[in-house]
Amino acid sequence: MIALPVALLAVVALVMAFADQGPASVLRHLYLVPTLWAALARGAVGGGLVGALAGLLHAPVALPAVERDGLTSQTLDGLLSLGLPILAGLLVGRLVDGSRARAARLAAVLAIQRRLDGPETLEAKLAGVARELRVALRARRLALLVGADVHTALLASVPVGTLVDADSGAAFALATGQHVTSTDLTADPRVRANESVGPTPLRALAVPLVSGAGVIGVMAVEWTGELSRATRAAAEELALHMGLAVENARLTLRQHRFAEELAEKVSAATARLRELDQAKTEFLSVVSHELRTPLTALQGFSELLLRSALPADRAQRCLVYLHTEACTLGRIVGELLDLSRIEAGRPLELRPEPVDLAGLIERNLEIFAAEHREHRFRWSAPGSEVALRADPDALDRMVKNLLSNAVKYSPRGGHVSVSACSAEDQPGMIELAVEDDGVGIPADQLPRIFDKYVRVPHPETATARGLGLGLSLVKALAEAHGGRVEVESLPGKGSRFRLLLPEANRDF
Amino acid sequence: MLLLSAPFDPAALAPPRRPARAYAQVGGATALLVAAGLAIEWAGAAATGHALASGAAHGGLVALGWLIATDAATAWRGPVLRLGATLIAAAIAARLHPLGALGFLLVPGVLLLEAWRHPRLRAIGLAGAHPIHALAGLASGVFLGAHLLVTASRTLGYRLHGDGVAAYLAALAYDVGANALTAEWLFRGAVFSVLWRRWPFWPAALLTTALSLLRYLLDPALPHAAEARAGAVFYLGLVGLISCALRAWSGSLLPGYLAALAFFAAYRMFAP
Repeated sequence: MIALPVALLAVVALVMAFADQGPASVLRHLYLVPTLWAALARGAVGGGLVGALAGLLHAPVALPAVERDGLTSQTLDGLLSLGLPILAGLLVGRLVDGSRARAARLAAVLAIQRRLDGPETLEAKLAGVARELRVALRARRLALLVGADVHTALLASVPVGTLVDADSGAAFALATGQHVTSTDLTADPRVRANESVGPTPLRALAVPLVSGAGVIGVMAVEWTGELSRATRAAAEELALHMGLAVENARLTLRQHRFAEELAEKVSAATARLRELDQAKTEFLSVVSHELRTPLTALQGFSELLLRSALPADRAQRCLVYLHTEACTLGRIVGELLDLSRIEAGRPLELRPEPVDLAGLIERNLEIFAAEHREHRFRWSAPGSEVALRADPDALDRMVKNLLSNAVKYSPRGGHVSVSACSAEDQPGMIELAVEDDGVGIPADQLPRIFDKYVRVPHPETATARGLGLGLSLVKALAEAHGGRVEVESLPGKGSRFRLLLPEANRDF
Repeated sequence: MLLLSAPFDPAALAPPRRPARAYAQVGGATALLVAAGLAIEWAGAAATGHALASGAAHGGLVALGWLIATDAATAWRGPVLRLGATLIAAAIAARLHPLGALGFLLVPGVLLLEAWRHPRLRAIGLAGAHPIHALAGLASGVFLGAHLLVTASRTLGYRLHGDGVAAYLAALAYDVGANALTAEWLFRGAVFSVLWRRWPFWPAALLTTALSLLRYLLDPALPHAAEARAGAVFYLGLVGLISCALRAWSGSLLPGYLAALAFFAAYRMFAP
């Protein structure tokens, strides 16, 4: 771009030479045209250079006149014309440089802001910003180190591939918040450089990036050759902006993460609510079915007894059926009442008293063994008498539910083992374990099985009856006794439920 | 990137000062040889004595540049002695026979040979230059030389020498091997490189140019006429600044050296 103003300068010089009108010729002002052109195109360097050339070209016209005529108004005018183009070129060039530098700084700030507002990760954003900054500052190498500690800080460098030494100048600036400047890094006694000293100095500047939270990083820049005051000021200004912009970007990313986490939680809660709604719908359907079955039996047998004069043994059998179904109905209604009490937040009414645990388990095992002949029940009685104080009805319901659960989820028959003893790993607690070799429970379902209305789906147990309340009630009753219930299970191998209740000498 | 990878010790001290003894030895030897030359000149062997003094002065400048550039490293005596001897021999040969000035053409070769063994000297710009940079240097020198010819002839009535081609070529050889070479080597090479590593360009270039002007103003070969001295300050100041700019731009001494040679080639047309 400087060639055209120089060519125009040569044309003006030729015109001046041919016109030969002396040092004060009006044509001398034409020298300002290429000078200002160069200043506008190339700044102070271009303007100063072309201005100096213009002055030099005018010298063979102006100086002989001074030698010949002495100092007259015309020759003085000619002498002034030697310096005017240089002055004009430098002044206009400086103004152009200043406005260009300001425009470049603003463009860099805008570019940085755009990069940091993007959807990428902070590392990717910093890499983009480092590239923008290197171009804006015309640096040879530039790096951004963002973080409180040099070992964990994010690094973006142009060119890439630089490693950070914990004792480096950038690390020093990060740790102390002080600027590090060097007029030549390769010859600086403070730097143990492994680069040989080149013909051109390697200027360097490490500026801490400061935000409201203090020093959050460092911008390290290296230039080959001249580093003007304006460039250095631009670097410091951009570092100041970077500190705030990076902090904003980090806050925005944190906000995005928080919003995403919140959305995930809301989504999970919504899904859970849907599940509960679905479970309640299923529960109503199951309850209707469960209630209708014993009611139908009660209705049928009672009608039979009312309308027909049955023989005594048959009437006796009908009465047994009526009693059994009435008990089933009573159990269902009891469970529903307990559930309603739990949901209402009212404590379960317990009447604790010393309980013969072994006797209670044996009675239940006899009942279940009679009803489920395809299963083998094994009872490991405690070596010594266990002292348990509990509500007998509640304990009976817990045992029945655990046994019912074991039977229900081993539909093809199998072994159901029951044991009771003092818990070895839980001092002061009585352990009652019910183990089956049934279908087991998938690991992802384990956290939910003590929830209300939850029935673990399995093709083999799809026809099993139940409200999905048994284990939930066991848990609530165990906790009401000051104990808890645990489960271990492997799909296809079976499950082991462990009911832990406090010994008789402990309060609950 | 050195700011990230090189260990940094904020309390590290600057390297020890250059040994004054080396500078004293070079200064003493130079002064002794110049004095010897002047004594010989005074005794009647004017040509030989003047040549010895001139050769010793240029040898002293080269030696000073070597000491500054290498930080007076241990093995400085050999190269400095060989370079000094070559310069003195060329100067004496030039005085004794018109073709003897060709001896000056050996000096750049000897300097490059010595510098080749010391990679550290590349730090002062002792390296090749891009053709564009070299061309820019040559163009600058040609322009300033042409400007000198036009302005001086129009203003002061200087005329070109039409005869004495051999003397002109001998003067050119002197510029190639002594005048321009020692100025570039010492001022734009050693002094400017050291100053520019500490300061911005303009202070370093102005001080370097001022020192090089001082060297020319102290040179007894410079015409004593006021207009000649004013012209020398103006043109040599411009040449000096341009050479500094070329050295900074290209990283090499070659463009500035070519600019100086081109300028002196024009200058010698007036006063061979």
